[in-house]
Amino acid sequence: MVTADELRNKKQLYYDDVKVGEDLPPLVIGPLTTTHLFRWSAAIENWHRIHYDQNFAIYHDGLPNVLGQGSWKQSILPRYLKDLCLPDGWPWKVTFQHRAMIVPGDILTVWARVTGKAESGGLGLVDLDVGMRLQEDVESCPGTATIVLPIRGGRAVPYPFVPPKGA
Amino acid sequence: MSETRSPLTDEIKALVGTSAERIEASPSWGIEREGLRLFTNAIMDPDPRYWDDAFAKKTRFGGIIAPPIYCSYLSRKTPAGAEDPITRAFLENPQSDGIGGVREGGESGPGTLPPVPTNLKRILNAGNEIELYQYPRLGDRIYSQARYKDIKGHVSKDGTPMLVITVETTYTNQDDDVLCILRQSSIRR
Repeated sequence: MVTADELRNKKQLYYDDVKVGEDLPPLVIGPLTTTHLFRWSAAIENWHRIHYDQNFAIYHDGLPNVLGQGSWKQSILPRYLKDLCLPDGWPWKVTFQHRAMIVPGDILTVWARVTGKAESGGLGLVDLDVGMRLQEDVESCPGTATIVLPIRGGRAVPYPFVPPKGA
Repeated sequence: MSETRSPLTDEIKALVGTSAERIEASPSWGIEREGLRLFTNAIMDPDPRYWDDAFAKKTRFGGIIAPPIYCSYLSRKTPAGAEDPITRAFLENPQSDGIGGVREGGESGPGTLPPVPTNLKRILNAGNEIELYQYPRLGDRIYSQARYKDIKGHVSKDGTPMLVITVETTYTNQDDDVLCILRQSSIRR
């Protein structure tokens, strides 16, 4: 996991420094517990019992256990991309699918691999394959993303973010 | 031998571009610290930009911010003073799954899109897309508006008809600045 101080003092990743094919630093989360899932359900007031009521999940819905929420996964990926871009880049867009179920005991590795880079309007656009891999190398959330990183000596990434024309 | 036809009717095609009512997703007091703390703890994000005023003030954002995706969960919360939806749902159905009858408004509440007229009932998540433009700030009031961005009809090789429905929801603040756009695609079959 990442600490508050690491995020406070995060050094900027520059467009110049990433290479196509490179794996960016992963974020490892877990092992997940029912308590983690319940905390998420409570935070967003999602009372679907398959996420915290084991008897209901197994005996009513026929699931292997309580299930990790798709909404939680949807929130983790932007959080991870944000961390990669801090302090002055921008996690512009991400698209993904929900595949393997997440259950208590799982350890997740949130990952990104550089698949392309292009300069556009003075900004560094970096394309990524992203995902959330389970401990047996099973992919739970495959997708793609585009982050925007500053170019050394170039202009600042605008905030609020405005995509470069044509990008 | 009969041939399965695409389930995409003219009536369904006409829904593409249809927008729901723009609604306020946040409570009237806007983004507040305690909800933000619960949310960021639940995604295990200790970023001081979400809670440390002195640090956040020195960042390019000029103050405490919230994850843009946080906007998408605000309207799910039970408003203060409302009849308790959990008690109501379980009185109506002691075997409630915790969703049916609990979520305020259901499929016809304010801000919801008209239903897609189809007898395809099974719903599968086909993927999500998120675009981020700006962080919400403490006190911001958040608004959302959904629209049918696209609906496609298919027939699988085994003859199963299906619809792929993409709903786009745009989240804005009180100044009408776009904070983030979510697109969720679902398969109906």
